Amino acid sequence: MFGAAALVLVVLGPYVLPDFMVNNLIRAFLYAAVALTVDILWGYTGILTFGQSAFFGIGAYSAGLIFTHMGFTPEHAALAFAAGIAVSVVVAMLVGWLAFYHGASPLYASVVTLVLPIIVAQILYSGGTFTGSSSGLSGFDSFSIEINTWFWIAGAFLIMVTAGAWLFVRSDAGRILVAIRENESRCEYLGINVSRVKILLLMVSAVIAAIAGYAFAGVQMVVAPEYAGFVFGTELVIWVALGGRGTLIGPVIGTLLIDVSTAYLSGNLPFIWKLIIGLAFVVVIVALPQGIAPLIKRVLSGGRDAREQAEIPILRPAIEAPLAGLAAAGQHAVALQGVRKHFGSLQVLDGIDFNTRRGELLSLVGPNGAGKTTLMRCISDGGERSSGSVLINDHDIERKPPYECVAFGVGRKFQNATTFDALTVAESLRIARTRLERPSLWTRAAELDLPGAALQVLQATGLDQKLGIHVRHLSHGEKQALELAMVLALEPSVLLLDEPTAGLTKPERTLIGRILMQLTGTHGLCIVLVEHDLDFVREISSRVIVLHQGRLVLDGSVAEVVESELVRTIYAGGGTMTGGHA
Amino acid sequence: MAQVLDIITTAAILYAVAAGLLIVFGVMKIINFAHGGFLTVGGYSALLVTRLGWNPWLSLPMAFAIGCVCGMIIERLVVRPLYARPLDAILATWGLGIILGQVITLAFGREVQFVESPMHGAIELMSASYSQYRLVLVLVAVMLASVMGAVLNGTRLGLQTRAVIMNENLARGLGINSGLVRFVTFSLGSGLAALAGALITPLSSVDPNMGVPWLVNAFMLVLVSGMSLVSLAVACAVLGGAQVLVSTYGNPILGGLTIVVLAALILRFRPQGFARE
Repeated sequence: MFGAAALVLVVLGPYVLPDFMVNNLIRAFLYAAVALTVDILWGYTGILTFGQSAFFGIGAYSAGLIFTHMGFTPEHAALAFAAGIAVSVVVAMLVGWLAFYHGASPLYASVVTLVLPIIVAQILYSGGTFTGSSSGLSGFDSFSIEINTWFWIAGAFLIMVTAGAWLFVRSDAGRILVAIRENESRCEYLGINVSRVKILLLMVSAVIAAIAGYAFAGVQMVVAPEYAGFVFGTELVIWVALGGRGTLIGPVIGTLLIDVSTAYLSGNLPFIWKLIIGLAFVVVIVALPQGIAPLIKRVLSGGRDAREQAEIPILRPAIEAPLAGLAAAGQHAVALQGVRKHFGSLQVLDGIDFNTRRGELLSLVGPNGAGKTTLMRCISDGGERSSGSVLINDHDIERKPPYECVAFGVGRKFQNATTFDALTVAESLRIARTRLERPSLWTRAAELDLPGAALQVLQATGLDQKLGIHVRHLSHGEKQALELAMVLALEPSVLLLDEPTAGLTKPERTLIGRILMQLTGTHGLCIVLVEHDLDFVREISSRVIVLHQGRLVLDGSVAEVVESELVRTIYAGGGTMTGGHA
Repeated sequence: MAQVLDIITTAAILYAVAAGLLIVFGVMKIINFAHGGFLTVGGYSALLVTRLGWNPWLSLPMAFAIGCVCGMIIERLVVRPLYARPLDAILATWGLGIILGQVITLAFGREVQFVESPMHGAIELMSASYSQYRLVLVLVAVMLASVMGAVLNGTRLGLQTRAVIMNENLARGLGINSGLVRFVTFSLGSGLAALAGALITPLSSVDPNMGVPWLVNAFMLVLVSGMSLVSLAVACAVLGGAQVLVSTYGNPILGGLTIVVLAALILRFRPQGFARE
C-alpha cells in the first residue's frame, strides 16, 4: 500500500505540486535515503551513528570538486560518481576497522562515528580555495536535467533504497541485524563474525549515502562543509528517532515531513521551529522510544494489533556434517595444558591440565569462585586465558575470538539463557544455522533444517509447536531449552554447558539430563558441564573434575569423587587444600 | 617559555571544561551531551553580568548557580527516565542542548557578543609577557580540582558518591540514596559546566553554539580518563599539550582535531585510556 502511494506521489508530484515544494522534496528524498541507512545501522543493528553525514559529504564533494576543477562532461560525471563511492567505501572500511573490533563497546563505536564527520568537515574547512573552505563550492556546471526529471530520479532512488532495505531486513540474513542488536555476544558464540557483518553493513550504508550526496550536489549545484558535518549527522538521527527507529517507513516519513516543514517554517519562525524539533526529539526519546510510526500504525488499524502473523517454517532434519571443514576428529575433544588466568594479582585459574574424549560427559564441580565459569570461557574464547594452551579437536585455538572457536566444534550455552527477545523461536534457530547455511539476503526460506539433536530438544520441550512465538513470551525453562537447541543447531562436537538446569523444575531437569546422556551416547558429543546440583551430576556424568581455588584437585569417576573425603571437606567449607589440616 | 605556558593554560582550561562531564559520567554512567548547552548557559550568564554592569568576577557564582538550577530541572524531567538506556541518554541530552541553544538565541539573539573580562593586560614572566587572565585560569582549575577532591574524599556525600561510582547496587543495598546522589551530581556537573563556560568567555566571545566544539573535546577527554580526576588531569596535559604543539608547528585546523583523533586512537588500542586499569 505504501509502495503504491509512494509511486503515485513520485510520478504525479511535479505536475501537481508547486515548484518550491518540488525543489524541497528532491532534497528531502535524498536526505531520507541517508536516514534509511541510519535506521538500518541504529534502529535495526543498534549502532548509534552520527557519521552518515560524512559519507553524504564525500559523495557531494566528489561531484563538487571534479565539476569545479575539471569541468562537467559525462565522463567526469561518471568519474565523480565512481570516486565518491570508492572513497566512501575505503573510509567506511577504515572506520569499521576502528569501531567494530571484537570486544568494542557500543559507546566506542558511536564515538568513532562522531569523530568521523568532525574530521571530514575540518579537512574541507582547511582546503582553502580547492574545497572552497567554509563557503564551500557553488556555481559549477552540472547535469542539464530539468527539475521534474530530478524529482523522478530522486524519488525512484528513494523508493529503490526503501524497497531494498525492506526486503533485506525481512530476509533471513536481515534478522541477523536484530540478533546483533539484541545480544551481540550470543551471535559471536553462534559462530557469526559480528565485526565483519557490521563493517559490511557500514560499507553498503556509506555507498548509499555517498550516492545521495552526489545527486544532491548534481541538482543543487552547491556543496558546503555543513553537509559533511557532525550537526547534520545528529539531525539524521533526530529524524529517524522521531519517525520511529527500526521501522524503515517511519524514518522516511519523518525526514520528508520535517525537512519540508523546515523549508516552509524556518523563514517565518526560524528559532521557534528548531526549538519545537528539539522539544519533540527529547519527548520522543524519553517517552516514546519507538517514535511516532508505531503510534500511527495503531491508530490506522483501529487499536488492533497490526503485527503480521509470523511465517512459520517447516522443520526438517538437516544433513549433518559435524566438524565440517575440519580434518578428521582429533584424538582429544578438548585438551588443556597449563591454562592459567589471572585478573591483576588475583589468580583465578592456576595451571589446569586435562583431556577429554568424544562421548564423555565431564562435570566440573567446585564451590563458588573455584573458577568453573572462567574455565568455560577459556575453552570457548582464545582471548580469555593468561597463559597455557587449549586444543579443540586437536586444533590450537590460539588467541582466536569465539566465532572462530565455534568453527573448531565448540558450542557454548551460558549460565543465564542468552536469547534474542525480539525474534521468534524459528528465527533464533535460523540465526544459529547461519554459519552452516548461508542465509538469503532478500528472501525467507520456507524450511528450517536442524540436526537431529536440536529437533529432539524442541520436540521434547514442546518448542516445535511455538516456532512463531516471540522469545520474550517464553518461560524461563523454555528459554533455557531454546538456547540449548540453538547451540546444538551449530552441530558442535564439544558442548559447554554452564548450569543448564538452574531455575528449572524437577521434570524439566530430568528431561534435560536424559537428552544430555543421549547426546553423548548416541551422537558421540563431548559435554563439559558446570553444575552445582550434585545429584544431577551423579546421575548423568561419566567423569567428574573438582576445581577448588583455581586448581584441579580431583579427576575421576563419579564414584571416586562422591566418596572422596576431599570433596566433602571442600563443600563443608574446609581450609585450603595445601595446608593439609582440613 | 610562552609555549610551556600555553600548554599549561590550555590543559587547565580543558580540565575546567571537562570536569563537570567527568563527574556525571563517573556517577551516572551516561554521557551528558547537554554539557555544551550548559557551557553556553554559563557564557551568557557572564554576558548578563556584563549587561547589568556588575563586577565581572560575579559572573562565576552567577553561572554556577544558574547551571545548577537548570541541571536540577533537567535531571528530574529528562535524565532520570533514561538511566537504563545510556545511548538514548546521549540523544536526549543532545536534544536538550539544542533546546538550550534555541532558548538562548530567542533571548539574546544569534550574533556573536563580547563580555567584560575580569582582568586585563599581560604579566612579565621570565622575560616573556603573558596574558594575566590565562594564568589566573590555571589557579582556578587547580582550586576546582582541590575542592572536588576534598568533597569526594572528605565529606559524607563524597563517600556516598564514591560508593555509587564503584558499585551502585551494593551502595543502594547499604541504604545510600543513589537517586539523591545522582540528582546532586547532575546538578553540580551542570553548575561546573556553566562555571567553565563563564571562565572561557573572556578569552573569546559568546554565541549560541559556542559549547559544541568544547563539548566534543571534553567528551573525548572524559572517555580516555575513565572515572578519575587525576587521570583527567593527565589526559588534559598530554592531549592539550599535543594540541598546542600541532597548532604551532602544524596548522591550527589540524590542531583542533588533535584531541579527538588521538583520543579515538588511544581508546582503540588501550580501552581503559589513561586510567590505571
